[in-house]
Amino acid sequence: MIKNELLILGIGNYLMGDEGVGVHFVRTLEHERWPEGVKILDGGTAGFQLMEDLECHSTVIMVDATLDDHPPGTIRLIEPRFARDFPKAMSTHEIGLKDLVEALSLLDRLPRIYLFVVSVEKIQPLSIELSSAVEGALPQLRGQVDHLLEQLGIVVPAPAVV
Amino acid sequence: MANRIVIDPITRIEGHLRIEAEIKDGKISEAYSAGTMVRMLEEILRGRDPRDAWAFVGRVCGVCTTVHSLASVRAVEDALDIVIPPNAEHVRNIMFATQYMHDHVVHFYHLHALDWVDIVSALKADPKKTSEIAQSISNWPKSSPGYFSDLQKRLTKFVESGQLGIFANGYWGHPAYKLPPEVNLIGVAHYLEALEWQKEIVKVHTVFGGKNPHPNYLVGGMACSIGIDDASAINAERLQLVHRLLKQAKEFVEQVYIPDLIAIASFYKDWGAIGGGLGNYLVYGDLSPNGYRDPSTYKFPAGAILNKKVGEVMDVDLREDNEIQEFISHSWYEYAGGDDAGLHPWKGETKVKYTGPKPPYDFLDVNDKYSFLKTPRWKGNAMEVGPLARVLVGYGRGREEYKEVVDSTLSALDVPIEALFSTLGRTAARGLEAKLVAHWALEFYDMLIANIKNGDTRMANMERFKPDTWPKEAKGVGHTEAPRGALAHWVVIQNEKIANYQLVVPSTWNASPRDKNGVSSAYESALKNTPIADDHKPVEILRTVHSFDPCLACAVHLYDEEGKHISQVKVL
Repeated sequence: MIKNELLILGIGNYLMGDEGVGVHFVRTLEHERWPEGVKILDGGTAGFQLMEDLECHSTVIMVDATLDDHPPGTIRLIEPRFARDFPKAMSTHEIGLKDLVEALSLLDRLPRIYLFVVSVEKIQPLSIELSSAVEGALPQLRGQVDHLLEQLGIVVPAPAVV
Repeated sequence: MANRIVIDPITRIEGHLRIEAEIKDGKISEAYSAGTMVRMLEEILRGRDPRDAWAFVGRVCGVCTTVHSLASVRAVEDALDIVIPPNAEHVRNIMFATQYMHDHVVHFYHLHALDWVDIVSALKADPKKTSEIAQSISNWPKSSPGYFSDLQKRLTKFVESGQLGIFANGYWGHPAYKLPPEVNLIGVAHYLEALEWQKEIVKVHTVFGGKNPHPNYLVGGMACSIGIDDASAINAERLQLVHRLLKQAKEFVEQVYIPDLIAIASFYKDWGAIGGGLGNYLVYGDLSPNGYRDPSTYKFPAGAILNKKVGEVMDVDLREDNEIQEFISHSWYEYAGGDDAGLHPWKGETKVKYTGPKPPYDFLDVNDKYSFLKTPRWKGNAMEVGPLARVLVGYGRGREEYKEVVDSTLSALDVPIEALFSTLGRTAARGLEAKLVAHWALEFYDMLIANIKNGDTRMANMERFKPDTWPKEAKGVGHTEAPRGALAHWVVIQNEKIANYQLVVPSTWNASPRDKNGVSSAYESALKNTPIADDHKPVEILRTVHSFDPCLACAVHLYDEEGKHISQVKVL
């Protein structure tokens, strides 16, 4: 299989407020001109369906929400090697990404994963809008993603004018 | 004295389901099924443009995304009296069939198989014997001793690394596991092959839906255009890809899924007498070569069966005020008309009123309200929905295709027809309908191609897309048969906006709490009398609950409590 270079994958439930931060984030990237070999994907709440996208990229940058003790909007970068390294996800999707990661590691096809997690509060209102704390963290998240991309040797497009 | 055991959450499902079961003399005497998260999707849709509803409902779940979008566009088309072109019907049917095959195979191998297949036992299998068994049940080429021996080595390495991962939540070594190590190894091999297979079949959704996950739907048709020589449209090359994927899917279902199902079932025939439950079955129907508006031609015929009387299938009317109603006597909601009222979904209300215990708690008060699922009833009856209901209604309606697959399976397993009303019957029915759907998918493909060849490339009817063509007030219902069972959305449109929107989803039928008369719904009823060998490892509960393919993500909603993948066992 020919591996593409890099996938930027937003994960989360768009209907559940801050839980959808990963999806909100990649949607801001979708309209920019990325170099060939870079794919931007709104993964939504999918699990196994993302298998092909994960295994055909050598590097994957994921963005997801997490529940932890940090203040909402806190951004952390994790380099998970095994499913157990993933922080507690918001998703209730039992057959989700973690299982896919396990399965890919059993098949020896796990890409290099960088995971940006954004801390959110436990109880999420049903809403397609982000809270101000998480919305406010998006520029900083973009900065950190760009920084990582530069380290990986990817030419980052100038942010689209909104 | 009874023990009450709690499994919360039930693992290997979508969403969050809690089962409390009382165990007396080694059997379940009473079971209680609770959705412990709230769903308020109805509220997010109120006031929105009805043409956008499909995109919101498609986000509710990572598994059934297409079926919700499908029910939604149909509900709006019904309200606005929009007839979609034949190509759109065929494409929707092909996407539906794709979803089915994907869902049933993933359910069997990745969610349900581990209730029957002991992964750890597979390490002891003899690869040569495994190969002989595999070749005796199917012509599937990946069956050499070397293939199984390589796999076994890889699995051993995986298990020894302590990264049991996907396989971590099993009750390995439990006496209820009956398969010889060799059959377990075949199960593991096909677990992995199914994983490879599923990533191919979903490409059909990308072709017709523009993207995957969460493909695009459109009120009035489908959002893709046909152009045989057009690089950016559904062209000859893409259609050929779809054809190849559908053929591959059929091969996998016929040569891997069905033989495995029969082989595994033959070691668990006792489960043909366990987990039957209600004996009432409900199907809304779907999949017509002649269009959704012609129910007489549905390949999944609609109908209701009461008390296992398969020969007496009754008609179902989703519009009738007193046929389908939702009750909240044991659900954490309130109705303006009081807790005992039953509301047809067009008049449905979704107002949460949580009166349960403050977490963490040991037990729910099952005499009071104990779930965020409402309790749907058909003419007052608790009904099971899903593959078993569909297969029984098809059989009862006298359809030859159904008779053929059912009768040949019963005879291959040497079990009587009564064995269908069981956990095993439910799991077998899922495989049998996957076989039928795999066949129908190619029929729909041929119809699509024939229609295009006749010069018809219409994919959408946009005559009534603009709101100024709509009546001031309209209501509609859209139904389908989701992999898990009958699914319908009811919409009320006023002044171009959604005034009310109600989803009654399959897992609400099956997993709901008791009704006002204390009558159990499908899970609770099916669990009754199930033998439990070890209170601390209730794999038997998982078998029956998983046989329904629970999907609580859309039945309830969505924030995760601190997930503990353990069962609590308490002596009452």
